Amino acid sequence: MSKQLAFYVDSQKCIGCFSCAMACKNMYHPEPGVKWRQVYPLSEDIYPHHERAFYSLACNHCEHPTCLECCPVGAYTKREDGIVVHDQDKCIGCGNCVRSCPYGAPQYNPKLKKAEKCSMCWERIDAKLEPACVQACPVKALRIIDLSEFDDAEALHYPPGFPRFESLNPSVRFKLPRHPHVVRRNG
Amino acid sequence: MEKERKSMNSSLLSEMSRRSFVKLLTAGGAAAMLHGGLLTPKAFAGPAKTAGGCKAFHSACQRNCYDTCAMLSYVDDGVLKYVEGDKQSTFTNGGLCVKGYSYPRRVYSPDRIKYPMKQIGRGTGNWKRISWEEAIDSICDKILSIKKEDGHLLGLALDKNSGSEGITNCAVIQGLFTGLGYTTRFEGSNCWPAGYDAQYFDFGDMVCNDPEDLANAGYIILWGVNPAWTSIHTMKFIYAAKERGAKVVCIDPVLTQTAAKCDEYLAPKMGTDGALALGMARHILDLGLADRGWVADNALGFPEFEQYLREKVTVQWAAEETGIPAETIARIAEEFAKAKPATAWIGYGLQRHTNGGRAVRSIDALVAMTGNVGKKGGGARYGQEFTWDFEYWPKSKMSPPAGSIGFVNPAKQKPGEPTVYSNRSLNRNQAAREMRKADPKIRMLWVSCSNPMSQYPNRNEMEKMYRGLDMLVVVDQFFTQTAELADIVLPTTTQFEEWQVNVSYWHYWLAINEQCIEPLFEAKPNTVISALVSKRMNELSPGSCTYQQDLTPKECMIRNFNDTIHKLNGISSWEDLLKGPVKAKRNPVSWAEGKFKTPSGKYEFLSAKAAEYGHPALPEYHSRRPNHDKFVILTPHTKFGLHSQFINLDWMRDFNPEPCVYINPNSARSKNIVSGDMVRVYNKFGEVAVKAQVTDNVPEDTLLMYEAWFKNDKFNVQNVLDDAVADMGAYQFGGHRGPAIQEQFANVEKM
Ligand code: SF4
Ligand code: SF4
Ligand code: SF4
Repeated sequence: MSKQLAFYVDSQKCIGCFSCAMACKNMYHPEPGVKWRQVYPLSEDIYPHHERAFYSLACNHCEHPTCLECCPVGAYTKREDGIVVHDQDKCIGCGNCVRSCPYGAPQYNPKLKKAEKCSMCWERIDAKLEPACVQACPVKALRIIDLSEFDDAEALHYPPGFPRFESLNPSVRFKLPRHPHVVRRNG
Repeated sequence: MEKERKSMNSSLLSEMSRRSFVKLLTAGGAAAMLHGGLLTPKAFAGPAKTAGGCKAFHSACQRNCYDTCAMLSYVDDGVLKYVEGDKQSTFTNGGLCVKGYSYPRRVYSPDRIKYPMKQIGRGTGNWKRISWEEAIDSICDKILSIKKEDGHLLGLALDKNSGSEGITNCAVIQGLFTGLGYTTRFEGSNCWPAGYDAQYFDFGDMVCNDPEDLANAGYIILWGVNPAWTSIHTMKFIYAAKERGAKVVCIDPVLTQTAAKCDEYLAPKMGTDGALALGMARHILDLGLADRGWVADNALGFPEFEQYLREKVTVQWAAEETGIPAETIARIAEEFAKAKPATAWIGYGLQRHTNGGRAVRSIDALVAMTGNVGKKGGGARYGQEFTWDFEYWPKSKMSPPAGSIGFVNPAKQKPGEPTVYSNRSLNRNQAAREMRKADPKIRMLWVSCSNPMSQYPNRNEMEKMYRGLDMLVVVDQFFTQTAELADIVLPTTTQFEEWQVNVSYWHYWLAINEQCIEPLFEAKPNTVISALVSKRMNELSPGSCTYQQDLTPKECMIRNFNDTIHKLNGISSWEDLLKGPVKAKRNPVSWAEGKFKTPSGKYEFLSAKAAEYGHPALPEYHSRRPNHDKFVILTPHTKFGLHSQFINLDWMRDFNPEPCVYINPNSARSKNIVSGDMVRVYNKFGEVAVKAQVTDNVPEDTLLMYEAWFKNDKFNVQNVLDDAVADMGAYQFGGHRGPAIQEQFANVEKM
């Protein structure tokens, strides 16, 4: 397999602090309302305690990105390291990518009338820095891995709640959250 | 694809985020940046802008937060582009929290107060821009007229709180207000007085092990503390201990985010933490697991404590009191006593009770009797003020103008001796009550670094008192619920627009905050505002204020350093900090030498000092006050804000759009409430309308809402809080006991 950078989301460690999501805004200043990264609480049938386990998700930099395929003006490119880059100069704001991505990654910027999405901070990666969200994570629950070298039998590709779109092959891996032993009071 | 997206939403997302998820697809409307226009991803791209193109400055987050993060701020062309944590601090390791990362938006928020403003008709929202001269003139005129009419300035009050912990902000208290004469001050702390006093009784000081040392613990009890939300950078040290085999237990009435990350979570009844600790202590005695050697060498009153436990405490009693099964109490106690080292981190929640100080003393005792005090990886951790020995300039240099008349404290005034005047001190935890009975009456109030309307209990009473003032001056960055009642608001700078220096009450780092951008609009630092008032006072009435009339904020910051700070931190001058934050040069283990600061020099299970302040000498258990309404209401801190700060920002609203009240499913059912319903939480003090969220994270008898100030939203938890105070706090806080904020009661109904 050729190089493919991916996000590793360790829900066992993740404390749902939203630092990753806000660090992204801090770096790119998207319009209020536009979020490249979001922290999703798992529904209670996946994790029994309300709003206590999360997946931090952004663009998955898929192996076969549908955003790239459906963009009429070629605003999307896939780099050699697997990062899917959206070029806003080329974007005409048709919204095809926004509609086509099943993971809701590209966002419509109403002010610029163009799409935008997580770039995996490729500028920072090229400058040998971690993506803003990864640096922000206080417990190292969010990491960058290279799938061509990644080998962890415990890691899940499609954990409960994360939709399975095998044709896209999203570049993300997960670790499931754990429950504490709970002793509730009587009376 | 729309269909699949929906299917993902429904399987993955909770009710709330599903709504915001859909909303974000349609969201529009945005406010322009003040400088440089909108930063598009494109404009920001390119390696140059990721670090090199911007100039980096050292900053420090000044919020009232355990973490007090050392930051780096990146500025390009005079505009703050982004911030990050300073990796030189091993505590934060390059991170900030969700609030810290929103700073660029806070600085350039379209909602910042831009100019001095005057409100025509208090609370009407009819604001008029005025000049600084006009604002300062009317303030000084008012002060002079109070002085003339009353013959003193006790009618002038200051409420400077902890909304900005930047050290130079003490210029308002130590400088301006002392320089004006004897005035009235709102004092005491909303935060930690009960537990603070408890630790003073037990140890003779409040100081604890370096949080980074949590990694060395073999057993950790997180007792009424939720670091996953309120001290996110400490979590990695807890995880590190876990990875080395430590067990982590969380004790909290609410299944918090921290609880979800622990090995075991215990949910006792509200306000019974003391009983739980004492039950554990008794079991440890019974098993012969007390560290008698440590106790004999280092403690006073263990035999008396032992006798109390044997006579008054059993595990079964603790089980009944707390609702935690006796086997669990016994097992946790045994695990704690056998794991070496074991530590308890005591949060500021469980002490905000009418029996809170006693609860902290009981937990201290549990840690001490197991020989875990003064040990690496051990300790009863609460906080520290060890690193705070600044000059608080100009404290030492200031005295009131000659001939000033002030408050006479009958307890301190000896007959036949010259009258001793002082400031009048009122407890901010009972602000409304104190204002009502204040004689002479408070006529003018100056509020800075504070939003009392969103933070102090009994809000409706507070508002009445505020409306009765002749003049309210509020210094802030935003039109808070307090500013809404002001006659004059003065815009103040963020930390990026001024020099500051900061330390934490948790970790041992010291960080400088360089000014990195020019003050926005007409905002001014507190130091400058104070000097302006002083100058005008002296123009209008020479000698009427002894505070400085010009001094740059940077100079003021420099003057806050002294030899103690230099020595403690191993620096020779403040300028050393321009290279990065430094950590205090001290043993990361507190009390390692076994020398305590109590009257006996020992750890005191039996404290005569406590008795002197009207408490039992031993850490005895007393139950909390009885419910005066159907539900207990908890109003702790949210991860999206610090008290009322940050929650109003539009960036924050993207992740935290609206307030809610959490209700247990059984209670919700009995009240016919489902998630998403608007409900009314009410009691005899007031009410609040809010959306319900049903979850068994909260117990059946409890309602939980976060303290918050949302933009354009009347939501305010203080409406339903009374001003009950905790048992302790009077010893170290000038007679002012702490608040019993987590011991409040209300009812709920569907609207
Ligand atoms: S997650 Fe969506 S936007 Fe990102 S690469 Fe895949 S298809 Fe494209
Ligand atoms: S920063 Fe880390 S811990 Fe916090 S929400 Fe993101 S992934 Fe989770
Ligand atoms: S609020 Fe606390 S954790 Fe967040 S940046 Fe400031 S000091 Fe750090």
